[in-house]
Amino acid sequence: MGAPRKNYAAPAGIGAAALGFAALPMFGAWPFAESFLYLLFFWIALATSWTVLSGYSGYVSFGHGAFYGVGVYATANLGAHVPVWLCLLAGGLLAACLGAAAGLVVFRVKRLRGELFALLTLALAIVLGTVILNTPIDGGPGISLMAVHLPRIYNNASSTVYLLGMLAAMASLAAAWAVQNSRLGRGLFAIADDEDAAEILGVPTLRFKIAALALSAFLAGAAGSVHALFVSYVTVGETFSITVPLFVLLMSVLGGARRWYGPAIGAVFVAGLTNLLVGGDWALAARALIGFTLIVATLYLPEGVAGLIEHKFRAREKPEPRRAPMPASANDNAPAPAPISGAPLLRIEDIRLAFRGVRALDGVTLDIREGEILGLVGPNGSGKSTLINVISGFYRPDAGSLVFAGEDASGDEGHRRARRGIARTFQIPRPFRRLTVLENVVVAGEFGARGLDHAAALACARELLEFVGLAERADALPAAINLHQRKFLELARALASGARLIMLDEVLAGLTPSEITTAIAMVRKIRATGAAILFVEHNMRAVLALADRLIVLNQGKIIAQGGPRAVISDPAVISAYLGDDDAQP
Amino acid sequence: MTISRAKIPQPSRREILALALAAGAAPAAFAQTSGAPVRVGGTLSLTGPLAATGAIHKIVGEIFIQQANKAGGMLGRPIEWVLLDDQSKPDLARTLYERLITVDKTDLIIGPYATANILSAMSVAQRYNKILVHSTFGIPKLAAYERHFPGWPLGPNPEVTVNAMAIDGILSAGKPVKTVTIVTSKFPSVNFLAAGAREEFKKRGIAEAAFIEFEFGARDFGPIAARVREANADLLYMGAIGLEANQLLEAMEKINYTPKNHLYLYPAPGPLSLSPLGKDALSLTIYEDLPPFNANPQAAEMAKLYREAGAKAGMPFVDPETQAGAGYASWQILTGAVNATKSLDDEALTAHLKKNGADTIVGKVRFDGPGNYGDDLMRLKQVQDGKWAVVWPKAVQTPGKTIVIK
Amino acid sequence: MSATLLGQSVLSGIFSGCLYALLGLGLTLSWRYLKIINLAHFAFIFLAAYLTYQLAGPGGRPPWLVLLIVVPLFFALGVAQQALLDHFKVDEFASIIVTFGMTILAEVFIQWIWSADFVRLETQFLRGSFEVGAFFLPKQEMLMAGASLALCAATAGFLRFTWTGKALRASLDNPPIAASYGVPGQRLALMTAGAAGALAGVGGAFMALLFTLAPSQIYTWFGVVLATVMLGGLGSAMGVFAAGLLIGVCEAVTMALTAPAWAPVVPFTLLIVILVLWPERV
Repeated sequence: MGAPRKNYAAPAGIGAAALGFAALPMFGAWPFAESFLYLLFFWIALATSWTVLSGYSGYVSFGHGAFYGVGVYATANLGAHVPVWLCLLAGGLLAACLGAAAGLVVFRVKRLRGELFALLTLALAIVLGTVILNTPIDGGPGISLMAVHLPRIYNNASSTVYLLGMLAAMASLAAAWAVQNSRLGRGLFAIADDEDAAEILGVPTLRFKIAALALSAFLAGAAGSVHALFVSYVTVGETFSITVPLFVLLMSVLGGARRWYGPAIGAVFVAGLTNLLVGGDWALAARALIGFTLIVATLYLPEGVAGLIEHKFRAREKPEPRRAPMPASANDNAPAPAPISGAPLLRIEDIRLAFRGVRALDGVTLDIREGEILGLVGPNGSGKSTLINVISGFYRPDAGSLVFAGEDASGDEGHRRARRGIARTFQIPRPFRRLTVLENVVVAGEFGARGLDHAAALACARELLEFVGLAERADALPAAINLHQRKFLELARALASGARLIMLDEVLAGLTPSEITTAIAMVRKIRATGAAILFVEHNMRAVLALADRLIVLNQGKIIAQGGPRAVISDPAVISAYLGDDDAQP
Repeated sequence: MTISRAKIPQPSRREILALALAAGAAPAAFAQTSGAPVRVGGTLSLTGPLAATGAIHKIVGEIFIQQANKAGGMLGRPIEWVLLDDQSKPDLARTLYERLITVDKTDLIIGPYATANILSAMSVAQRYNKILVHSTFGIPKLAAYERHFPGWPLGPNPEVTVNAMAIDGILSAGKPVKTVTIVTSKFPSVNFLAAGAREEFKKRGIAEAAFIEFEFGARDFGPIAARVREANADLLYMGAIGLEANQLLEAMEKINYTPKNHLYLYPAPGPLSLSPLGKDALSLTIYEDLPPFNANPQAAEMAKLYREAGAKAGMPFVDPETQAGAGYASWQILTGAVNATKSLDDEALTAHLKKNGADTIVGKVRFDGPGNYGDDLMRLKQVQDGKWAVVWPKAVQTPGKTIVIK
Repeated sequence: MSATLLGQSVLSGIFSGCLYALLGLGLTLSWRYLKIINLAHFAFIFLAAYLTYQLAGPGGRPPWLVLLIVVPLFFALGVAQQALLDHFKVDEFASIIVTFGMTILAEVFIQWIWSADFVRLETQFLRGSFEVGAFFLPKQEMLMAGASLALCAATAGFLRFTWTGKALRASLDNPPIAASYGVPGQRLALMTAGAAGALAGVGGAFMALLFTLAPSQIYTWFGVVLATVMLGGLGSAMGVFAAGLLIGVCEAVTMALTAPAWAPVVPFTLLIVILVLWPERV
């Protein structure tokens, strides 16, 4: 993942490389070198374009041949009529439109599984290839681009193709770098690990996925537009062959699909190998060597070459000397609790939601006031978690309204609710598993209600990790920390978002008694920041200790509410709990 | 374009011999040549989807060089073939020709085969003004370079002339052929021929019972077979690459249908002649190991060596025919021009070939027409008694064979 | 356009669909239960096909005897492959590359032994067709379809009703817990890989029976079989069968009704529509 500080060495390097390669023909490089380098550039562009979507977001595209094919046929059809640069633009834009349209359709599918996306993109490529084959776009005989007029830079048309390929590759690399180090990239990495959690933390997942797909398609389309000029005779069979997306995937994964420079390494390796092992007398042996190398390289480099480089790099980098830890701020240091203003922060009215006829929520109406801790209890299956999911925007209720801070938010998607200031924790923590503890919190700061810029989100995240006692583990991956630390990580994320309402879903479950004591202190501290808390818990001791008000939910309905003591002695409540082993009144 | 072959049910010695051939392909005895070799660079598809045909071109090229070097090579110097594997990829073919010309600096280049790869090579040749002799290039009108010379003499308009020849041959039997079903793969080099065939059939008043296009690489021929059966025309004309002819025949057999007369271009010749379903199947050719083609000793020797090398390489079908003929002819064209002009100069070679054409194993090839195409030398052949026989035009008919039309 | 033509085309599509399912069955098992996207499955199929050609062709051994040799051999091959992948803890992504590398090696091996040229198994085994009314039912295809249905059904039944099948599904949901209940995860994985390999062997035998073979043909089956597997729902044996039929019949009917060149458009457009409208059905 991106280094915490912005580092412009990479784009400077890309720019310098571009200039160097652009100057190469001036020094009378062999045309063969141009041609060979061109092929490397072509594969770099295509593999890098793939990674912007698939490497970063985890949605594997098997259909990159479709976007590339759009570019190829854009040039094939327009090349004779318009200037070349316009072909490239058209190829890129048409592919981007196709990508965006496909994304709009595909990503609207709730719970789109990874392999379904792969299948859809594969189907897209097959359908597109067939359509092009059977319409005048190609029609069957292939298209020759001999008539395309190429501007002559360096007095040589093939140098022009070389330069265009080089530009496509460098543009793709620059784009991949920029995305990786941007909000978009950090959002995509979060999506790759846990899309639902990302949405709830404020990442506009739909928009980001479509943007990534469109950008990726644009780059692939532009690369295809250039490649049509290079091959100069295009056929459907060659263009839409499954080996194109397959090789793109191989190169990206081999090089390291989660780093902007990974696919380029893979492309140079694979394309270089296949284009150099061409001796006529040992063609079969060369092909076997390619197969063998793919196997061995993958077995010994599970995270790709880029992963290896990064590990080496990290190992050499000494951990920064830590500032002296802030005094473990106990209760005495905490600011005085903000007064409960009594103004409703959230009002939900008559929320109804049924799953296949089972009423999970049956006309729930409640207020949460500024600064209060509202306890929400009820037997298992009473609808508590469902209610949290509805408030956070994960479930769309069948009926009912939701007003937050005086504004109607009923129609908002999850990330918009997060931006308004609604945050939650998950009963079973859902950290982004390939992001460090620190990066997990940064996502919340950047995409949550505060909408901090990256630097501020980093500073805020470091502070909060101190606050929840995880500062020492900032660079660890979530798998390396224990359950209660992960629960605190959930809290830190909720806090980083700057939410005005934090919903805590059974934060105490699974903790030891001493951990529970720490956790309760933590909740108090959170409340002291002024946020309202919806506290869902089975542990009645904790509920009574913390809640200002209590609501009891049973079978999707509120059966009692009011002061905690009064509510738990309500006969309706007692009867609802009878026989329920989990209750610990 | 791939024209490929099939199996004969025969066990073979394969491994070690195949390896020996792949590793070796030793330059032959330099009996009557001396001096530094003339280096001729080229690529073939030795791996990938076109590898079956690539193997044929590799064998005939090696045979030609072996024979030629015994007879003086080029300019009295031995010929050395710098052969690279383009892996059936046109984009790689382009890069490799750049390499052959600018890095390896070969004296001459010779074409790959298959339309797309030849076009790639041609664009490079054009940039360096190199003469390019090539073998099986399927779409003449795409070749727009004045120094390209095809070893596969299709004529400038095969979609007209080849079809006209074939139809004339069929009608020469005097049987009523009134309707035709045209089935064609969307593979470029047969697709445009099938489109041309529609016009030629129309001109001769043969009604089109059905016109069916399928995607190259189709797996299921059942529905196509059912449609052919339903159309039940006097003639089945199929634009077929490789195995598609056999696939359709097998699918038709499964619904108990045998076409009355059937013509295929360009099927894998082995499976078609060996399968009982291929009875009376017509196809096109420029060369067969039959008189009059194999009349001269060089051709006879080539056929013998070809069979030996093919068996060594483990190839299941080892009769030389169109691909072998075109591959061999392209070497003859290049070598003949070099020795006639005593020069390796591209301009001189071009002028010579344009003016004189070349005598080859497939006949006299001319380059004086549009796009350097001359006479259309395609002939009609037919499976008779499990073997191919050339049946039209009369001048090249296999002795004792005439076309069978029902 | 007659009813006979349409009917015969539907039959043809059913047979194609059964073949897609047969080829996809092993793939779906290893994808779902081993998290291995085994592109080498196609290579195994073709290795088995060439072996069948070699054994059943010239010597004229009966196909069932060939099957007795091929199936155990490919079971072992599947086990060996899984042992290697497991040893290196290859994940889903990386498995694509490793198995693609294996596919290239297999392709090279085939080209080395049998040349790049087409080979066709000529056998009199089950030649010809049954005639039922106006329709023809080719015997070899009938056998293949029967085998495909039987293997899919048997696999589904096995996964659903036997202890081993349940254990396999359990170990997928939660390997550590399943292990604590005595489910031998690693052995199950090897068994599954072996079964997938054996299925490739069977698929290959039918490939040899029904098709002409060439090394590069390995790649032509990737698209449609992967689509079948994904549409069928990973790990679902009957799902892959249904998906195969859907794709096969759609293709065939398109070929009968319109230009065959449009054939891929209909099933794959249908696929897109199904996935978008009812993703949970898949």
